[in-house]
Amino acid sequence: MATNPANGRASVQTAPESPVGAQSAWRLITGLLLIFCLPIGLGLIGILLPAAGFFPALGQHRITTDAITAFLDTPGLGNAIFLTLWCGMVATAASLLFSFLLLMAVTGRRSARWLTALSGPLVTVPHAAIAIGLLFLLTPSGWLMRILSPEITGFVRPPIWGLVPDPHGWGLIIGLMAKEIPFLCLVGAAALATIPVAAYRKTGASLGYGRVASWIFLILPLLYRRIRLPIAAVLVFSLSVVDMALILGPGLPPPLAVLVYHGFIDADLTARLPASAGACLQVGLVLFGMGIWRGGEYLCGRVTLYLRRSGHRFRTWDPVGKILSTIALIPALLGVGGVIAAGLWSVAGLWRFPDAWPATFSLRAWAMTDMLLPLIGNSLLLGIGASMISLALVLLLLRLMPSTATRPARIITTLIYIPLLVPQVSFLFGLQLWLSWFRLDGTWIALLWVHAIFILPYGWLILRPAYGAIDPRLANVAASLGASPWRRFIRVTLPLMAAPIGTAFFVGIAVSAALYLPTLFAGAGRIDTLTTEAVSLASGGNRSLAGAATIALVIVPISCFILIQGALRWRFGRFAGMRGGHLR
Amino acid sequence: MRHRISSFSRGIAVLATLWLGLPGTTLASDFDKVTLAAAGKTVYFNAWGGDDKINAYIAWAGKTLKERHNITVKHVKLTDTAAAVARILAEKSAGRDSDGTVDLLWVNGENFAAMKRADLLQKDSWAPTLPSWTFTDAASLPAIELDFAVPTDGKESPWGRAQLVFAHDSAVLPTPPRNAQELGAYIASNPGRFTFPQPPDFIGHSFLKQMLIELSDDPAPLYAPVDAADFDAVTAPLWAWLDAAQPNLWRGGKIYPANYPALRQLLGDGEIDIAIAFNPADASAAIESGELPDSVRTYIHEGGTLANVHFLAIPFNAAAPNAARVVADFMLSPEAQIRKADPRVWGDPTVLSLARLSAADAAAFDALPRGIATLSELELGQTLAEPHPSWIGKIEAEWQRRYASGN
Repeated sequence: MATNPANGRASVQTAPESPVGAQSAWRLITGLLLIFCLPIGLGLIGILLPAAGFFPALGQHRITTDAITAFLDTPGLGNAIFLTLWCGMVATAASLLFSFLLLMAVTGRRSARWLTALSGPLVTVPHAAIAIGLLFLLTPSGWLMRILSPEITGFVRPPIWGLVPDPHGWGLIIGLMAKEIPFLCLVGAAALATIPVAAYRKTGASLGYGRVASWIFLILPLLYRRIRLPIAAVLVFSLSVVDMALILGPGLPPPLAVLVYHGFIDADLTARLPASAGACLQVGLVLFGMGIWRGGEYLCGRVTLYLRRSGHRFRTWDPVGKILSTIALIPALLGVGGVIAAGLWSVAGLWRFPDAWPATFSLRAWAMTDMLLPLIGNSLLLGIGASMISLALVLLLLRLMPSTATRPARIITTLIYIPLLVPQVSFLFGLQLWLSWFRLDGTWIALLWVHAIFILPYGWLILRPAYGAIDPRLANVAASLGASPWRRFIRVTLPLMAAPIGTAFFVGIAVSAALYLPTLFAGAGRIDTLTTEAVSLASGGNRSLAGAATIALVIVPISCFILIQGALRWRFGRFAGMRGGHLR
Repeated sequence: MRHRISSFSRGIAVLATLWLGLPGTTLASDFDKVTLAAAGKTVYFNAWGGDDKINAYIAWAGKTLKERHNITVKHVKLTDTAAAVARILAEKSAGRDSDGTVDLLWVNGENFAAMKRADLLQKDSWAPTLPSWTFTDAASLPAIELDFAVPTDGKESPWGRAQLVFAHDSAVLPTPPRNAQELGAYIASNPGRFTFPQPPDFIGHSFLKQMLIELSDDPAPLYAPVDAADFDAVTAPLWAWLDAAQPNLWRGGKIYPANYPALRQLLGDGEIDIAIAFNPADASAAIESGELPDSVRTYIHEGGTLANVHFLAIPFNAAAPNAARVVADFMLSPEAQIRKADPRVWGDPTVLSLARLSAADAAAFDALPRGIATLSELELGQTLAEPHPSWIGKIEAEWQRRYASGN
């Protein structure tokens, strides 16, 4: 990791312990990773063949372009592609801008603790829960309109216009932002800890630059470089999201990923062929979106350079920055408001528009939650099991990996991030074919495996910097006392990493709880989780029950978060002073 | 170990009897053997899971089957039945000819036709071999053997009946429109207050078919395969009606609710004035649970409305086909059908013939409450048969082409 002058500690360029048998070790790791991420490769092959018209189950044995032409004939495909790019790019750009504004507003102040304290729980709330909450809050007959009516709006019936769901994808953009801003804030705060922000700001101030200008010219370039991968993950997710788009998104046409998803579940079985072509197009669209993003990066870089060279100090930007950073809180607040609305609906009896509160309260929905209990069990088991598998693998990789600067290390890093950079809808149907071939679909093995694949990059994102930040002298002392490399790793390194391992663990549980499509396809409908249930309840069915499922969906990961934090504080609190500077 | 071998060979014997026995001639004692072989098995029952009343009913059936026959019923809750059909197809393409993930599927119409075409069903004609089949009467209800004009060939067992009804809030809209033309006029003068679930949702499809039949001068071609007809000429009145209505639908016809419960919710929230349902008793049940105001009433159009039967099918590769038959038989039994018809439980009309039931069972059906918003059998009397399933695919495609491109 990078030099950390703020701590006055030496640069930690290599892992604290020299790798054993570097050459054979990295081959082993690469092999391990390849096998681990095999489902993604197999899944992609599994859609390439049907896309090329080859699908023996339907008697299609020849390679043709029929599937591709059929998909290109989909009504509204052009609009769907435009909508996908529009929602994905706007949501990512706005999330990034807003999270930068928030980080700028709080860094070095006491409110920084508030931001991380709020972001942590919000990151754990699954996308589906946020989407359902926004639906409860923002529809024409939603809670917000009920509060405002009829006193302020004069409406005694819901208006015939509304924000959610809407044909232009604003609801989806808000939903994505409510999830991605807290995520980018957390990642950004962790990255900022490796940047001497205060020193740079003083330098900026001494040259007469305002707070905003110092940030843009001095700190942002460093920060951005450190979080490019998480940003790419956000971009890919936003360009290919299905569960949120099903709940909040426009339907005519829907975003491309939803179009493809509908193709895979169409009653007309031949629709799988064009859908596979669409899944390939989705990969292309994500690459195209990344290209646009790269162009945007270049443009922003040029503009910054131009502004910097102009010599202006931009002190007038500071009040604007303050206003904007307040606005930046809105998506997250709407997310929280939505969850509260879901809670209110879960205990509502009769609740007619335009009453601001339910006329009667009822615990009927909660009385029926005995059906949610096995789902909570499934969600927990999956989250905990898959996190353990993933984190064990990450720790093994860290222990065995050659120094970070080498080519093998770069290959490994790239491999680890692949699950976040391939659109889910593009490989899951193909994967389902293979799983079914091996009789693994609908089994816990398949589900744990697929969930672990998605947790892996997050575990890496959290644990690698933590591992790099450990003072190598501690391991050296242990070595001088005669401890073997593995003993040093287990007795010294792991306890020092207890806090980040705990963080990675709850993030893993949260990531697992948020997975909708992977659970649906790998679980073959046999293993339901709270998430699949909540999405199906949200698309119809009893609103009180959907509210109750949403609340359960929020409570499960958050209670894990609290439990793990508490356990860590209790067991490892005394080592706090020995941890790397920026670990939480 | 010996015990396991003997039960295994008994299972083989039962299967052999089933395969060799002629359809319809299986004796009750043969079915007893099926039941015996089914003990201890788990049936993955794939059924739409969007309605908590239906889910609770399935849970009750599962509990009863566990107690009586030691069969575990696992309800796999689908948002779209087509997803399960897709999974069975994926299994077939992967060569998984036994031990499949779906044992029993709630299905009808287009999904059944697709499964039949792709050979995804059990090979034999098993439904008429069920003991409970004797309580049905195909002469008085032909739809139990004709699923959307496609012969079932005994490859699916009838479960319930449905009829399209409209629901309106009488406090907002005292006299609802009673035919397609009146509905069109109502939409034009009340913009934003009518919609239907987005095709390919089942209710959305049904609404399009209902309008098409009502608006057609001669609906006869709709009951033969679509290829035999001039599609454009036959469907022209439907598109003319929709073109006029679309700008004045809820949210300008740019957004549609996902399915029936979402539509019902819109009626409950007051966003729309008229909802469409496929279960005549549903509105009453929703009033009971507080989801709809008690001023909601149901009605049907003057010329009658679509009616059909929904079924239970067993995929070709079911892991527990015998246990699935036992479940299907129980679902068709008077006991289960009486409970299902109770509007406080589900309110799904029975497929049994009252004339073939014992006096006590027939009396139990008669004693069921009807619910405040439910029409009488007499009022529901006017029904329209479902068109041939080949139509809906083309209607759906044309609808998508016209209204789903977002222009």
